[in-house]
Amino acid sequence: MRIALFAVTASLAALAACGGPETSQANNSQANIGNSASPPATAGNTAALPAQPPASKEEALKIMHERHEMMEGLGKASKEIKRQLDATPTDISVIRRAATAYYDAAPKMASLFPPGTGPDMGKTGAKPAIWQNGADFEAHIRDFQAATRAFADTAAHIDRDALRASFGDLQKTCKGCHDKYRAEMKH
Amino acid sequence: MKQRVWDLPTRLFHWSIVLLVALAWWTGETEEYDFHLWVGYAALFALTFRILWGLFGSSTARFSAFVRGPVAVIRYLRDRFSWPSAGHSPLGALSVVALLALLIFQVVSGLFAADEDGLVNGPLASFVSIDLSDAITELHEEAFNILLALIALHVAAILFYRLVLRKKLLGPMITGRAALDPGVAPMRAAPVWRALACAAAALAFTLWIVAGAPPFRP
Repeated sequence: MRIALFAVTASLAALAACGGPETSQANNSQANIGNSASPPATAGNTAALPAQPPASKEEALKIMHERHEMMEGLGKASKEIKRQLDATPTDISVIRRAATAYYDAAPKMASLFPPGTGPDMGKTGAKPAIWQNGADFEAHIRDFQAATRAFADTAAHIDRDALRASFGDLQKTCKGCHDKYRAEMKH
Repeated sequence: MKQRVWDLPTRLFHWSIVLLVALAWWTGETEEYDFHLWVGYAALFALTFRILWGLFGSSTARFSAFVRGPVAVIRYLRDRFSWPSAGHSPLGALSVVALLALLIFQVVSGLFAADEDGLVNGPLASFVSIDLSDAITELHEEAFNILLALIALHVAAILFYRLVLRKKLLGPMITGRAALDPGVAPMRAAPVWRALACAAAALAFTLWIVAGAPPFRP
C-alpha cells in the first residue's frame, strides 16, 4: 500500500512536471501499474507511468502531441549521432548536443504515457499493450534511461569506438521497446 | 518446334526480381531493416546487370529491340496484337520500361533512405541532409504502392493474353522457349562470356555503392 501511494505521488509529480492536470482522486487499481517489480519507488523513480488519465480530451491530445514531438526529436538526434559516428572527422559537439537531448528527454518519458492516451484517444503509435503490461513497459523505460546516462558519460570523452558501442546499447533500448509497444504510424 | 525466346540471364533476372520484391516488402513491413538492405543490394546488382544486358545481351533483352514510340504501340493494337519478332511487343515494352524504372527508383531511393529511429541508413544517406533523407524515405515507402499497381497490371495482362488472345506468356518466361508463328524472327543469343562480363561489372558497381561510393563519401 505504501508503495502504491508512493507510485501515485510520483506519478502526480511527473504529471505536474509536464503540465498535466493535478487530479486528486486516487485509484488503487491503476496505481498498481506503477507498482512493478522495480525497487521501491522514490522521488527519483521517473520510470513510473502516471496512474491517472488526463483530465480532459484536450489535455490527453496535448500530451500525445508532446510525446510525438519528443520522439521525433529523439529520432532526429539518433540520425545526427549516427552520421557523426560514420563521418570523418567526427564532430563531437553534434554528438554531445544529441546526447544531451536524450539525457534530458529520458526522465520525462514515462510521464508522457498516462492511461487514456492510446489509439482510442487519437492518432498515435502507442499500442494499448503499454497499459496492459505497465511493469514491463516501465522496465524498458528504465533501460532506456540508464542507456542515455551511460551515453552522456561516454560523450564526455572523444573515443569513437566507445561512442559507437554505447550508442549501439542506447539504440537497442529504443528498438526493444518500439518492437513491442509501437504500432506503425503514418505522419 | 519451340524456339528460344528469352535467354537464361533474362529469366534469372525476372524471377530473382519477383523474389526480391516479395522479400523487400516483407522485410520492410516487419522492420527487418538489416535484411531489407541486403535485399536492396541484391536488387541493385540485378538491375545493374539488367541495364547492361539491355545494351549488350541477347536480341530480345536489348532495349533497342523493344523500346518503341507511341506509333508502334498504336500499330500493334490496330494489327490485333501481332508482332513480327520474338520478345516484348510494343505494348508489353511499356510495362517493362515502367516496371524497370520504378524498380530503379526504389533501389536508388533506398540508398539515400533511413529508418525513422536512425537505426539503419542507406549507404548513400550521408550524401544528403537528414531532412532530405527523410523525404526520400517517405517517397520510397509511397512508391511501393505504385509498384504493386504495376505488378497487378502486369499479371492481369498475362491473364488477358492467356484467356482472351490464347497466348501463353508464363511458360516461355520459365523455359525460355515458345512456339513462334511462321515468319516471326527468333532470339539471337549473346555469348556466355558477355553475360559473365556484365555480371562482373554489375557486381563491382554494387560493391562500390554498398561501400558508400568511396572516395566521395562525406
